[in-house]
Amino acid sequence: MKQLTKILFLVTVVGLTSCSPKITSNFTNPQPKLSIDEKVALLDIEHKLPENITKVGDLRFQDSGFSTDCSFNSLMNKARMEARKNGANIVKVVNKKKPNLWSSCYRLKIELYKYDEDVSSIPQYELKLD
Amino acid sequence: MKSIIKSILVSSVLLLSSCATIISGSRQSTEITSEPSSAKVYINEVEVGKTPIQKNLKRNQEYSIILELDGYETYKTKLEKKFNAWFIGNIALGGLIGIIIDPITGAMHKLKPEDIDGSPKRGTTYDTENGKLFIKVSMDIDPISEKIGQLKKLK
Repeated sequence: MKQLTKILFLVTVVGLTSCSPKITSNFTNPQPKLSIDEKVALLDIEHKLPENITKVGDLRFQDSGFSTDCSFNSLMNKARMEARKNGANIVKVVNKKKPNLWSSCYRLKIELYKYDEDVSSIPQYELKLD
Repeated sequence: MKSIIKSILVSSVLLLSSCATIISGSRQSTEITSEPSSAKVYINEVEVGKTPIQKNLKRNQEYSIILELDGYETYKTKLEKKFNAWFIGNIALGGLIGIIIDPITGAMHKLKPEDIDGSPKRGTTYDTENGKLFIKVSMDIDPISEKIGQLKKLK
């Protein structure tokens, strides 16, 4: 009985803490934080980066094994928040693995950039609500 | 015969005890109203319509909410995921499957507007009824805008 209680407790703790995807970040050139009013462009694989940009860092979203909140739109929204925190206004997907037999999650490699012009004019991915 | 009944009973307890998923579902109906109405609503910076509006939002995500209306200050808040008490039903019934399923479906969470020092943000009132979340926002007049007239309703 004690063992069952331990298992239930362990599963509950894992369930409560492990539903988010694993995020690895590396910021080589962080910039001043951006406010929520400042636009951030989300560029998918097919979208091209503009010229004269400064690289701020990289992000990597992986499946933690228990991730459930890992749709493409949700990850792009998380990437946008990370971008703002580190002063980037372009989120560029450089590698995208779709959900498959081995993982129900999108897995993304992302690069973050700072662009001094208006990002609204760049062709970009339009975020949708899941 | 007794063993069949026992098996059915055990299976039912195991299979039907994803309490939160069964009772609450993986999405939560969220209704946003504002005073005055017709404010533009952005959820995660995606324009979804004007108040009053109802959306079924995933319970396993957090959302940013922005309301915009000419002449009023832009209202910003967050919907946070909190613990859904129905999840405890799994532990009470010994439902191991429920403990796994509820986190996967997101049903172990419920959405709630962010708190500041334990109270909702100024101008926000909310209520939960039958699992549905109702949020009412009183928008503040923008002090830098100036009223230049008032439209009258035609009879």
